[in-house]
Amino acid sequence: MRDDDILSGSLMEDTWLTLEQVAAACMVEPAWLTRHIEEGLFPDAESIAGTWRFSGVSLLRARRMRQLERDFEAVPELAALVADLLEEMDILRAQIRRGMV
Amino acid sequence: MEFKDYYQTLGVTRDATTADLKKAFRKLARKYHPDVSKEADAEQRMREVNEAYAVLSDPEKRAAYDELGRGYQPGQDFRPPPDWDAGFEFSGHGFSRDEAADFSDFFAELFGRMGGAGTRHARAGFRMQGEDHHAKVLLDLEDTFNGATRQITLRVPQTDAQGRMRLATRTLNVKIPRGVRAGQVIRLTGQGAPGTDGAPAGDLLLEVQFKPHPRLRADGRDLHLTLPVAPWEAALGAVVPVDLPQGSVKVRIPEGAQSGRQLRVRGHGIPGQPPGDLLLDLQVVLPPAATPKARQFYEAMARDLAFDPRDQGRA
Repeated sequence: MRDDDILSGSLMEDTWLTLEQVAAACMVEPAWLTRHIEEGLFPDAESIAGTWRFSGVSLLRARRMRQLERDFEAVPELAALVADLLEEMDILRAQIRRGMV
Repeated sequence: MEFKDYYQTLGVTRDATTADLKKAFRKLARKYHPDVSKEADAEQRMREVNEAYAVLSDPEKRAAYDELGRGYQPGQDFRPPPDWDAGFEFSGHGFSRDEAADFSDFFAELFGRMGGAGTRHARAGFRMQGEDHHAKVLLDLEDTFNGATRQITLRVPQTDAQGRMRLATRTLNVKIPRGVRAGQVIRLTGQGAPGTDGAPAGDLLLEVQFKPHPRLRADGRDLHLTLPVAPWEAALGAVVPVDLPQGSVKVRIPEGAQSGRQLRVRGHGIPGQPPGDLLLDLQVVLPPAATPKARQFYEAMARDLAFDPRDQGRA
């Protein structure tokens, strides 16, 4: 491939990601994700005919939870609780931005 | 290459125990947590802290670092000895190869050798598809309207013939699909890690985020904009031009509009099937009473309108 070639990508089917894609993107083992889903720590994940699918928000959530577990040796439920709070904070911060502009 | 003092980065002494290191790391991980840190350079500092901890928390790496770094001062020019060839496997407290790509050149030079991690690819006789790589790209909001071509630079770890990990810079020209939204992923087929034995390469997955825009804010497909209007435009109704990345649109302000009211202009958000909406938050801006004429107008309004804005809801 030459350096000045222009690459055209395809948009992944409307922000839905598979378990393997989320795992690769967040550098976690697929088994880590499966375990966390089974424990109900990914409320956004949906199972369609036995296949898990995730929204873009799950990417950030998986990354945050993995870092909390690694950096602080947090138990998964605590990492999920912190992720819940951070998501809530994201929403509130977005509302503040909207109100103050 | 500058010598890095990992002990200094973590704020511990050279005789720190594993427990000391862990404590210092956690303290800094909290301080520079990207979601809560007030420090301006939190992300960069966290990378340095991660790098220091990846080395010092691994007894083998720490021993090698102590051995090599004897007599060096931070920032001093550093050259590893020519026979330096320690066979480190790239695994240190859950820091992955991709994360290590963010670590310094100093780190890559010392610990970059892939050692045992290569076994994953080198399982003889198996054709293995290359891994998918993942990167985040920061785009201008305008890019989703124009479908622009953007040059994207990635730092990727690559393993050379001797099994050493090197950080290579890859520059890609990527056509941004029109209508792409924050959080969506662009898949570039075959641009990930190469496969083994002729198996196909993995894909490169680019996660899209937008840079903050001075006026516009994207929320999914919808665009938000605060639209300043003059009091007479709000009171009497008006048609005003609104500049958008795809050009100017004319918007009708309804008679009697107030500050804080939201107008929805269908189909003028981020393009797509269906396109998003443009949401205008009206903000009535008063002309300053800076001239005698302006003061007269305000005085006439005060006299003639008998308006008390605090009256509403009091009755």
